[in-house]
Amino acid sequence: MRRAHDVVIIGAGVVGTSIAYHLSKHGVDAVLLDRGDIAGGTSSACDGHVLTIDKNPGYDSRLAQKSQAILHDLIQQLPLDAGYRNWGSVLAVESEEDMEAAERFAESKREHGTAIRLMDRAEMRADAPNLAEDIAGGILCGSDSVINPMALAFGLAEGARQNGVELQPFTEVSAIDLDEKGVCAVRTDRGTIFTRAAVCAAGVWSPRIAATVGIQLPIRPRKGHVLVAEQDRLPYWRNMLEFGYLMAKRGVPREVEPDMEQCGVAFVFERTVAGNFLLGSSREFVGFEPGVNPEVVRLMARRAERFFPCIADVHIIRVYTGFRPYTPDHRPIISPVDEAPGFFVAAGHEGNGIGLAAITGRLISDMVLGKEPIVDPSPLLLERFAAN
Amino acid sequence: MNDDLIICRCEEITCGEIRSAIWRGAATLTGLKRRTRAGMGLCQGRTCGTLISRILSRELGRPVSSFEPDTSRPPVVPVPIRVLRGDHE
Ligand SMILES: Cc1cc2nc3c(=O)[nH]c(=O)nc-3n(C[C@H](O)[C@H](O)[C@H](O)COP(=O)(O)OP(=O)(O)OC[C@H]3O[C@@H](n4cnc5c(N)ncnc54)[C@H](O)[C@@H]3O)c2cc1C
Repeated sequence: MRRAHDVVIIGAGVVGTSIAYHLSKHGVDAVLLDRGDIAGGTSSACDGHVLTIDKNPGYDSRLAQKSQAILHDLIQQLPLDAGYRNWGSVLAVESEEDMEAAERFAESKREHGTAIRLMDRAEMRADAPNLAEDIAGGILCGSDSVINPMALAFGLAEGARQNGVELQPFTEVSAIDLDEKGVCAVRTDRGTIFTRAAVCAAGVWSPRIAATVGIQLPIRPRKGHVLVAEQDRLPYWRNMLEFGYLMAKRGVPREVEPDMEQCGVAFVFERTVAGNFLLGSSREFVGFEPGVNPEVVRLMARRAERFFPCIADVHIIRVYTGFRPYTPDHRPIISPVDEAPGFFVAAGHEGNGIGLAAITGRLISDMVLGKEPIVDPSPLLLERFAAN
Repeated sequence: MNDDLIICRCEEITCGEIRSAIWRGAATLTGLKRRTRAGMGLCQGRTCGTLISRILSRELGRPVSSFEPDTSRPPVVPVPIRVLRGDHE
């Protein structure tokens, strides 16, 4: 391990590897550290949706779209196949009443430049013949995609390595040191690395690292379950989310059974490149408790069957859980830190980190190199929390 | 072992693909799984787990016993959605 680098990146999930990759294209002397393996954190315990359809109209939609566009190009350059597929995604709307809200949502997204289209009941059934007959309609977003998040992280890391970034997995950061000028070193269980720039991309574990320079990050673990179904039993060829997922994501009350509401259960369907499908989703604040909760699994299975009755006999081969790095306004923190010059935060992507990894890497690269940021980062800066 | 030999039958992963992933940095059963999909199929590594530990052991020159088994996750055997959701209606 070399003792000095221009930039130290902490955390090798999709976010840290994207930062490493973007910096490497400028020939920056950087090291990428992780206390475990590459892609061993939330980026291996999630889904792989790259979505704009579920984002708020306005800034969030534009950010997600920009990230999709960067990812689209990036994918061609990576040395490994990340399983990127542009299958499009559909928001399924249960009732006619919800259709009105869905229409308004679609309209305001269109005003902000997202290419989406409403589908009525007949059109939905033509596109998704296995869908429950009473589903009222849907919204289709053709630019939405899926990717294998682990393959993306491995590909970005390998790309960065080929461009000269040092990869240093199984190295745990214990603290960041400051001197009168700002960041001066990163301390690890394998020695100290001298540097003037440290990027914290440790996902849900970022607050511990930031605390060592006296910075509080409002990031908390928001647990989710994922059900993995056996191969070759696909009920649908695109990805699908229920319209109510948007409510669940924002914690807005919905018209579902109280226990579903409690665990934030909303239907999410992902077709994987391997030919399986994944079922989500749940959202709970239970600290870092990783266990599979059979009650949550039961609710998720029921919710999935409500949309695709034909999957009742499909086998679930595995259930896993992961921790979304939640922030109070559901936006990531992509920011320099005024109090600690040379310290950057790229964390708190909640349920959007796979989709936003590309733009995050680009933005942090712009910030570290002192370039004009590719998008206005002000809604993502840490100082937005300072007022409260 | 021949490089063309299929080690994980569910996902059709060969010995060569596993060796290549070890060369690219996989140092654990979980790390191998995440890089190659070996052990991610219907049997969830129950069939190939031991064989893969042996390849890891040989390539990295460490005893088989030094490789922790992959994190096991419920359900222990594949379960139909109908059973998971319980019978209410
Ligand atoms: C169930 C579920 C479903 C999801 N579905 C989607 C989806 O469909 N689309 C989407 O866009 N997003 C989704 N997400 C969100 C997405 O997974 C996360 O936002 C993303 O993985 C965060 O990436 P990261 O790189 O910030 O964090 P991580 O992948 O957690 O990486 C952080 C890394 O930091 C390392 N680390 C921690 N502490 C230290 C230390 N002290 N020293 C060194 N290293 C350290 C960890 O080992 C880890 O590897 C989902 C999340 C969950 C839980």
